[in-house]
Amino acid sequence: MIDAANLSLDRRQAVGIVGESGSGKTMLCRALIGTLPRHGAKIVSGTVRFDGQDLAGAPERVWRGIRGREIGYIPQSSLAGLNPVLTVETQLVESIAAVGSMSRQQAREEAVALIERVQIPRAEQVLKARSHELSGGMRQRVMIAAAIAQGPKLLIADEPTTALDVTIQREILNLITQLRQELNMALILVSHDLAVIEEVCDEVMVMYAGASVEAGPVAALSKAPRHPYTRALRVSRVDRAAPGRDLEAIPGDAASVGSWPAGCRFWPRCGLADEACRRDSQPALMPAGEQLSACIHAERMAEMEQ
Amino acid sequence: MTSSPGGIGARTLRLLRHPVLRRLAQAFFVAFLLMVFAFLLIRLIPGDPAMILLGDEATEEDVIAYRKLLGIDGSIPSQFGRYVANLVRGDFGVSIRSREPVLSIVGKRLPVSLWLTVTTIVMTIGLALPLGVAAALYRRTWFGHAFQIGASVMVATPVFFSGLLLILLFAVQVNLAPIAGYHAGFPANLYYLWLPALTINFVLVPVLSRILQSSIVETSSEEFVEAAIIRGTQGWRFYWRYLLRPSLAPTIAALGYFAATVVSYAVIIEIIFNLPGLGMTLVDAVRNRDYPLVQGIVFLSGLLVVGLTFMADLVNGWLDPRAKIR
Ligand SMILES: Nc1ncnc2c1ncn2[C@@H]1O[C@H](COP(=O)(O)OP(=O)(O)OP(=O)(O)O)[C@@H](O)[C@H]1O
Ligand code: SF4
Ligand SMILES: [Mg+2]
Repeated sequence: MIDAANLSLDRRQAVGIVGESGSGKTMLCRALIGTLPRHGAKIVSGTVRFDGQDLAGAPERVWRGIRGREIGYIPQSSLAGLNPVLTVETQLVESIAAVGSMSRQQAREEAVALIERVQIPRAEQVLKARSHELSGGMRQRVMIAAAIAQGPKLLIADEPTTALDVTIQREILNLITQLRQELNMALILVSHDLAVIEEVCDEVMVMYAGASVEAGPVAALSKAPRHPYTRALRVSRVDRAAPGRDLEAIPGDAASVGSWPAGCRFWPRCGLADEACRRDSQPALMPAGEQLSACIHAERMAEMEQ
Repeated sequence: MTSSPGGIGARTLRLLRHPVLRRLAQAFFVAFLLMVFAFLLIRLIPGDPAMILLGDEATEEDVIAYRKLLGIDGSIPSQFGRYVANLVRGDFGVSIRSREPVLSIVGKRLPVSLWLTVTTIVMTIGLALPLGVAAALYRRTWFGHAFQIGASVMVATPVFFSGLLLILLFAVQVNLAPIAGYHAGFPANLYYLWLPALTINFVLVPVLSRILQSSIVETSSEEFVEAAIIRGTQGWRFYWRYLLRPSLAPTIAALGYFAATVVSYAVIIEIIFNLPGLGMTLVDAVRNRDYPLVQGIVFLSGLLVVGLTFMADLVNGWLDPRAKIR
């Protein structure tokens, strides 16, 4: 269950999701395309609204019309996202042809266009290649191509730059930003790196232990965070932390599923924690400044700023 | 024609590194080892085979003549030289029993064993493929559990027992197969072969479908499967391209290996079902101490095994490029 993940975005908007490993970022994204993975995970409460349509309890048939067509998704660890026994072409054509009746030739041309669109040189050669013949950056570009194949309105990119070289990271980010403008897509970008999100996104949502703890305009959160966790994130500035690594500058371990404490889930690591924090349950997001915060002492943080 | 020697060299080198050629070279190497093994077979028997075969009353001349017939006269290197030269000419010696050339005996018996092998493998594929897929897809249902138990029981059942059971069921109770015997000629011979093939498959199908099941389960947790679902890939495309094809390699390798063991299963099966194949011939030859015949059958059926394994590798390389790079 993802608590209080209130995420809404208009067309052309870019929202970032940031949080430590295991905080439920991927879970949230998967809920958005109706493929919550393994072990009977499900949305306990809440709605997923897309273009005014509530999808939370929608049957698989409806989701199929959404996936790929309306929402493009670049999965996490997508470096392993290409089928090793198929060529890039087969997989791209497949992503395109899912749209409907299209001749082989047409689909092929479309695939070439897509490859060029994600700025891969020597398109013909790459189309003939298989996963193991491509570099990490190339694979990521192919995955992006597959995600945008059907011209979705929303692109979800789950940590698209982790596990890539720093220079490649930059290229991929630039590419995503550019595609977003060209194709007029909204974007949800998941990252460990607050700096990346500040650069690319308009809005940001901070997640901690399966809950959204602060959300609002990027500028507001960076200028005046209203949740201690966000501030810790900003201060520690763990730019490009490896996935799965803890944020070293924040004392204590990230709470993992099942060991979430009672009360505010952040209290064991929070400098402002007091009796009230431990007693109640995870606070809901409340307006605080220009943003929403799930800290009952959000006002105290505002005072501290001054 | 002027092509630079360097160009030719590079091209040849690249060709030599081609995986198919490398496999072929391996196959030849194994065949060579097999040849040496068959050669040593007679020579490692304690005592003098000629004396053993002729008994105590044999004269000196008889023994010498017999040694010549068996190819065990002269020094070991010279014996080996003659042996190889003969093999290359297709001369496998003559059977001591019938004085018939080994090659012609094998030529008569081999088709029966080949037909048995082919029938068995076709049946294996036809049964193991759907079973393995179903067992993977429904592994959490009653079918999956029943499959696990059934497979274990079947693998543990000795072939002679399941063979007799099947004969009782299909040949005695319902008259769908002969109790034993063989008549050459396709497709009539299938009538005689399907029950023996089914008997061997009592072992092969459970093993292979379990291998397939576990590799499909393994594949299904791969990122690219997840990615395909997220992209919206559905239907046969999804099942064939993303689940089955990437999972086939271990199964096909195992199939190649088992196809090879069919030859040794054939010994038991051919006796149970009284099929005049290589296996039965081998047993007779061993019983009669017909060394040249034993040698010839060991070598030729070994070659068959090498050929089948090679073919399995080729199919694998084609289906799964990952197998090629290894
Ligand atoms: N709200 C939640 N309710 C129940 N389980 C959750 C929730 N959030 C996360 N989990 C569990 O935690 C695990 C990790 O979550 P998830 O993969 O979404 O983390 P992540 O933020 O994407 O981490 P990473 O940065 O390592 O990718 C999931 O497998 C899931 O089982
Ligand atoms: S509610 Fe309390 S424990 Fe939780 S973040 Fe705010 S101050 Fe810290
Ligand atoms: Mg994740």
